[in-house]
This record gives sequence, structure tokens and C-alpha cells, in this order.
Amino acid sequence: MRPGRPLPSAELRGDVGVWLSAACLALCIALAAGIVVVLVRAGLGPFWPQPVVELVLRDQQRLLGEIALEEGDAWILRTSETARPSDGYVRVRRAEVLQVDRPADAWVLLHADGRRSYRRAAQAPEPGATNIVAADPRNALSFGEKVASFGRNLRAYAAGGTGEGPGMLPALAGTLVLVLLMSVIVMPIGIAAAIHLHAYAGPGRIGRLVRGAVGSLAGVPSIVYGVLGLGLFVHGIGGSIDRWFYADRLPVPTFGAGGLLWAALTLALLTLPVVVVTVEEGLARIPVAQRLGSLALGATQGETLRALLLPLARPALLTAWILAIARAVGAVAPLMLVGVVKLAPSLPLDTEFPYLHPSRQFMHLGFAVYDNALASPDALVGVPHAYASALLLVGLVLTLNAAAGLVRKRLRDRYRAFES
Amino acid sequence: MSADLRPNPALAVARLAQERHAVRRRRERFGRLLAATGAAIVVLSILVIPAFLLFELLPHARMPEGVGGRFLLLLAGTLKAGLIAVLVAFPIGLGAAIHIVCFATGRWRAGFRAVLDVLAAIPTVVLGLIALTWLAPWLRSHVATLLVLAAVALAAVLVVSVVFGRPLRARRSWLPLIVLPMLVLVAGVIVGLDPLVDAIAVDTPWNGLLVGLALGVAAIPLVCAVIGEVLQAAWDRHVDAAIALGASRWQALRSLVLPASAPGLVAAALLAFGRCTGETMVLLMASGNTPIASLDPRDGLRSLSAELALSLPGAERGSLAWQVLLFATLALFLLSFACNFAAGRIRGRLSS
Repeated sequence: MRPGRPLPSAELRGDVGVWLSAACLALCIALAAGIVVVLVRAGLGPFWPQPVVELVLRDQQRLLGEIALEEGDAWILRTSETARPSDGYVRVRRAEVLQVDRPADAWVLLHADGRRSYRRAAQAPEPGATNIVAADPRNALSFGEKVASFGRNLRAYAAGGTGEGPGMLPALAGTLVLVLLMSVIVMPIGIAAAIHLHAYAGPGRIGRLVRGAVGSLAGVPSIVYGVLGLGLFVHGIGGSIDRWFYADRLPVPTFGAGGLLWAALTLALLTLPVVVVTVEEGLARIPVAQRLGSLALGATQGETLRALLLPLARPALLTAWILAIARAVGAVAPLMLVGVVKLAPSLPLDTEFPYLHPSRQFMHLGFAVYDNALASPDALVGVPHAYASALLLVGLVLTLNAAAGLVRKRLRDRYRAFES
Repeated sequence: MSADLRPNPALAVARLAQERHAVRRRRERFGRLLAATGAAIVVLSILVIPAFLLFELLPHARMPEGVGGRFLLLLAGTLKAGLIAVLVAFPIGLGAAIHIVCFATGRWRAGFRAVLDVLAAIPTVVLGLIALTWLAPWLRSHVATLLVLAAVALAAVLVVSVVFGRPLRARRSWLPLIVLPMLVLVAGVIVGLDPLVDAIAVDTPWNGLLVGLALGVAAIPLVCAVIGEVLQAAWDRHVDAAIALGASRWQALRSLVLPASAPGLVAAALLAFGRCTGETMVLLMASGNTPIASLDPRDGLRSLSAELALSLPGAERGSLAWQVLLFATLALFLLSFACNFAAGRIRGRLSS
């Protein structure tokens, strides 16, 4: 390296390097922002009332409906459904359209059997006479009414029961019950292992073994946990439970089929390394003087841990919990093998004794994203629903991560006070 | 009555102390046992995965005829997806890590880290959804546009850095925020002009390129975090000496920090490769799921993980299909384990 001032060419190269690295970072920012924007637009947009258009075609045919999708040089128009829901899609080439109107007297009618139809009329159609549940003069809505309609649509979809699937609430409930059950399993084990690593294992062979195990667990693909859950938990343990305790119900499986408990166990394995690493980090952050002081006063290791270190590390425990949940909420692949379903007949948590039903199948937000996107009978309805679920899922994960960040910051501030 | 039976206060206190001592020792031992149990469960859970797979597979050590070919196709698909993803994620992650560690300071650095955390938090099923419904229809006819876009963006950054590099040298910290609108502008212009529609023939919207891009986005935060950690350590060790000798930050990076952390870069690529090959949701949703013997990124693929997710729920336990799928699981486990193990060894040697 040349001493003194860098030569101009070196400076230039430096500038180029700095800008290139900045461009990479800018791309990351654009990706993060772009994904969030796409999710918000595609997740909430479909609930905003779309204008009803009337297309005048070359052959003087008039089509009334909503534009569901723009596909290259064609529009997919959702027109009146005559026989059953989602049979009214029409593909119109743009070249054939002479004129696009937004008639102010267009009505969107929702029928009792879930069909939608469009009609031009001067007055509100008679309710009851033709099985009409709701009617709205779409193009004549004011902005406030549109906002209200948006809220209504969103609430109706979330609650379900509008003929557009089960909605998001059962999936959200299934997700929450699942991660809570998982936390009950993983937290004690993870904390115990972290305590062992921090206080008892030391740098010796056993410590290395446990540390290596934690590192390896973190690298195992999530689908492999799913296979383990299916083969060992569902077929192995669940099958045995069925043979011993529910023999009268066989061959209908009780625990020998995918269910909440096995999914929670599988996710517990998946999140175990997160908990161990985070808790151990939190314990290691506590100044050594605290621990030595306690030991010098005659307390044993265990008493020191219970009375001093664990209370001090409480924010780390909370962080570990939040991070474990954030990881678990996003893990969909293993669930597909151990009991997640598209439509569960009943929630895993209800008012019927024993309230929590660990052998029941359940619904899950992440699986709802996958299922709506790929397996929905009507893709033009399914994809917006997938985006709505995805938006809720990402919102949940980002909120959890932000909470973990806040707690961690508080933890750091607390030890700063100790060090001074 | 004899006096011996009267309680002796000293003795009582001693016994109490001893008792307390015994209780404390017992409690201590119990706590130790509890902690050791937790650790034992952790060790057991990593051992139980290969043990279970081998236990199920060993009685049938001979692979049935005609299955190996399909398995090789799945393995090839998995490796292809992982390779493209690493090729996408590595340069971007490396650049981002370099900027965060070496050029950004203070609050900017924390902010950029937070953005990457957001990217890391996005579940892969969501990336799969966006790739499937949003990117795939566009990419099918615009592969050439994407390549042109990448080239033009790169050229634009180079030109701007040569022209405006000097006056903006003091703004190094938040340079990404200057580059960002530039990139958006370039992307808008190129996508709007759409120069080369269908110039590169692509048979299927679900192809290796799409999977690679989506998986690459998933892997960027991992690459950036691992490289950032390694770079930070090397930077802290070397930068003062280099700058004292008159080198610029870039020179310190080029001639000292990057060579010193080269093993770390290899480790990051390995980790990303392991993560991408083990990933399921993106591969399941965006790859087309047809096993094809082709290393061309324009063709689709079917990965080991997608095969597991699709076929295992329907496979009867103990059947031939079940064994083949468990063999695929074992392969997937060993692949990611090997990647992680190698990366761990490399990083361990770096830090010692």
C-alpha cells in the first residue's frame, strides 16, 4: 500500500466501490419496501369498492360488470352470475371495446345464494322479491360511503360466512393456539438448556456437544422437521396412544393422525435453537460481577440463577419467546405434513370440556396463503384472499419482531446502568 | 426423667443448619438435573432425526429399481434452485454488508439493519405468493427486459459514481437513499419502454429463474448478516492501522479486510446454499413442480422438499413410496447438515 494521499485513480475506484455497495443496499431497501407495498395493495385493494363499468363492444353488445383483472391486451370482466357464484367471468379483448362507461345508475346486487349480479335501474331493486340480500349503487357512492363499504367488506371477509370461504378468523385462531401450545413446550426446555450451557456446561466437551447440537438444529430444513413429526410423533407416538387408549375407536385415528399437539411439538423442535441461543445470549450479557457477588455471599449456582440471573434476564426470556413465535408463525411447510387443513370443522379451542383439543386438525394463516393461491376453485377470488391472509401474517410477524427489538433495547439499557 | 431427652438448643440449630444444607444441596442437584435434562433434549432432538430416518430405511437397504432416476432429478432440481438463488443473493448481500459495516455510520447503520430485518422476517410462503401471482406472469415474457434492466442499472450506478462520486464523498452514510430513487427511475423507464418483449423464449412461467429470484430474496438477509459479522471483526482489527498508513476506507477494505474475511464469505455462501436447498414454500409454489433433467434456468424444476410436501401426506407408512420419500428426507438433511457443518468449521477457524 502506498503511503500518503491515495492516487486519483485509487480514489475513483473507491468511489465506484462505495456506490456499488450502496446500490446493493438500495436494492435491499427497495425489495423490502416493494414487498410491503405489494402486500398492502393486493391485500386490501380488492375490498375497496371497484367501479361498475359498462363496455360497449364493436358488435353493439353491452357488458355490465367489474374489471377483475387486466391480462395483457384483454380484460377479465366479472359480469352477472346467473346460475352459481363465479360463473360470470367474461374475457374481453381491448381491441373490441369501443367505449367504457361508468353508469351512475348501476346497482350491484348480492343474492341469497352468494351470486352477484349487476343491473341498471333508477331505483333500488325490491328486496326479498328476487332473493336479494344487499344492493348498492356502486358508482354513486361518495368517498365516505366507499370507506364504509371497504370496512364492511373487510369485516365480512374476516369473519367469514359470506359464501366466500371461512374467512380469516378461524385461521388466525388456529395459528395463535398452535404457537401458544408450542411456546408451552419449547420455553421450559429451551431455558433449561440455555441455563445448562451458561452455568454448568462450561467450555468442555459437553458444552461443545450441546452448542454443536443447537447450531445443527438451526440448520435443519423445516420440511425435515415435518417428516420427523409425521413419522415419529403422528405415526409412532400417536399410533401407540391410539392402540393403548383409543383401541375402541380404531381404525379411526384419534392421535394417530395429524393434529394440533403434533404440530406444536414439531414447531417446538423447529424453534428450540432460537430460544436456546437468545436466552443464553441474555444470560451472558449480565455482568459477571453480579454472579460472582452472589456466589461470594454463599448462594449456590441454582440460587444465584433463580434469585438473580433469571429475573435479570427476564427481557431476554421475553425476546426469546417473541422470536420463537415469529419463527413459528412463518413456518408452513412442516405443518402441511402434521395436520393443517384447508377447512377445519371445529376450532381446536372452544367452550366444550376439555376446552383445548390437542388431537384436532386446525387451520393456519400461512397455509391459507398457500391454499388460496394455488388450490382455490376461483383464482380471481382466491388470490386476493391469499394476499389478505399474507398481509395479516406479515403484519403479525413484523409486529412480533418489532416488539422483540424494543424489549432487547430495554435489556441493553438496563445493563448499561449496571456497568457504570 | 433423664435430662438427655430435653431438647438441646445448640444441637437443634446445628441439625437445622445441616438440614437446610441438605435441602439446599438437594435443591441444587435438582436444578442441575433439570438444566441437564433440557440440554439432553436438545442433543437428543438433533440425534433423533437421522436415527429415525435410518431406523425406517435400514431394513430395506436396497433401493428398488427405477426410483434412483427420479431421485436424481429431484436432487438436480434442488441444487439448481439453490445455485441460482446463491448467485442472486450473494453479490447483493455482500454489497449490502460492505456498505453497512464499512461506510454507513451511527443511526444510518441501525436503520439499514432494521430494513434487512424486515426483509428477513417475511415468511417464505409470502415470497412464494408474490413470485407466483405477481412476478411469474411478468417475468414469462420479460426475461430479456430484466437482464437489460440489471445491466442498465449497473451502468447507471457506475457512471453516476464516476461523475458525482467526488462531491458526494461526505454523504457516504446515506448514499443508498440517493441511489434508491435512481434505481426506481431506471426500473420505471426500462419496464415502461419494454425494449425486448419475448426476446428470450421461456416455455413456462414457473422456471428456475423465478425460483432463484424469490429464493435469492429470502437468502439476502442471511448472507448479509453472516458476511456483516465476519467483515465487522476484520474491519475492527485492521482499519485503524490501514488508515494510519494513509489508505482510504476502500483501500483498507480491498487490500486487508476482504482478503482477511474471504473464508467468511465462503461460509456465507455455503450457509445460504444450505438454507435455499432446504427451503420449501417458494420451491413448492414457484417452481412448477415438474421433475426435468435440465440445468437451464428457463426450465422448471421439482425439488426434494416440494416432493416431500406434495407426496408424503398421501404415502402410506412403510410402503415403497414412503421409503423413497424418507430417503429424500435423509438426502435433504445430509445436504443442509454438510453445508452448515462446513460453514461452521470455516467460521470457527476464522475466529480462532
